[in-house]
Amino acid sequence: MTGAAYPNWDAVYRDNVTWVYRLMYGKVGNQPDAEDLTAEVFMTALRPLRVSATVPEVRKYLRMTARTVLASYWKDRMGRQVTLIEEDVPEVIEPESFASDAPDKVRQLLHRLPDHYRRILELRFLQAFSVREAASEMGVSVANAKVLQYRALRMAAQSGEEATS
Amino acid sequence: MSDRIVRRFADRLLRGQSTERARPDDFEAEQMKTAIELRAARLGSDAPREDFVSDLHRRLAAEMADDQTPVDHPRWAPRRRQVVIGGSVAAASAAAGLVVGRNLLAPTPTQPEAEPSTQGELEPTAGTWRPVGASVDLPEGGALSFDLGSVNGFVHRADAKLEAVSGVCTHQGCKLWLDAPDSRLRCPCHSTSFSLEGATVTHQLPVAPPPLPKFQVREINGVIEVFAPTKSV
Repeated sequence: MTGAAYPNWDAVYRDNVTWVYRLMYGKVGNQPDAEDLTAEVFMTALRPLRVSATVPEVRKYLRMTARTVLASYWKDRMGRQVTLIEEDVPEVIEPESFASDAPDKVRQLLHRLPDHYRRILELRFLQAFSVREAASEMGVSVANAKVLQYRALRMAAQSGEEATS
Repeated sequence: MSDRIVRRFADRLLRGQSTERARPDDFEAEQMKTAIELRAARLGSDAPREDFVSDLHRRLAAEMADDQTPVDHPRWAPRRRQVVIGGSVAAASAAAGLVVGRNLLAPTPTQPEAEPSTQGELEPTAGTWRPVGASVDLPEGGALSFDLGSVNGFVHRADAKLEAVSGVCTHQGCKLWLDAPDSRLRCPCHSTSFSLEGATVTHQLPVAPPPLPKFQVREINGVIEVFAPTKSV
């Protein structure tokens, strides 16, 4: 399969749109931006793509384009790169290998937090509870749940920083 | 409150809204990153919407069709649109070793490895070898058309090998014509074109039409023959 190429742009799109979107979603965390960025990647990448490029070459090229598109998005929105797409691509380039290790990382992150901090983040971020629902689930006031959430996020970010440094 | 930036960011993120402009410091950016990781870890949240995928496909089809320059069209028309992000995309392409000046739809002389695997062989239930022309009429690199009534197509000789493909467009059945100077089989209906090998080369349709089916072809005693359905009299 190393020598295989795509017959046309349509095949490139169909084969790669899902992983490009997932990659972007994992980096921005919201659907509207992930959709815009995915569209930008394909709008930018398809036209100059060499017709005889092999499947791994095309995927690498898409990933490099995605990296650039994400970098310019963050620069515009935040003046800095909040998240980035790593440059070093694994040698075996299959779409699955692009899947993020986020769930594992998040599990470890939550594990390091005190119970009530972990609980509020799980309810709000992973289980889609509203503040009100999360507050009632935890038996605290809404104001309390809000404060808990932001303190928990601060601590999670701190412990994440320490874990990586 | 100094954490207003992060609060606002997290609120929007949890409501599924796009990210607003802000100027976070290091620690605020770290909290945003953590919030994104948490949000993206929600089960099933990262599958693209069906509507989005098909809508983007339509936009790309329009964009790619726009870039096509028909052979008989003057080339003075400027490209309508070039998406460039501060020149950095060129850098990305260079890094990926893919600095290129041709798009996927641009005609190319040969692209053997781009042959789609879905190209089928036309195999009639009841068939016979039928003559379609004399060997002398088909020099190396040449192509000729044939019409056997039940089927029609084009046979060409490349690298001393014969190949024959159907002469009917796989989109809506219009009859293809041989554009010999360009080595293309062109459809009069929707500007689709195929290579002599039957691969779809250019099209302006939302979905690429499949490649042309092939015929079995052979050469015996100076006569080129195609395996075609037996005539029902």
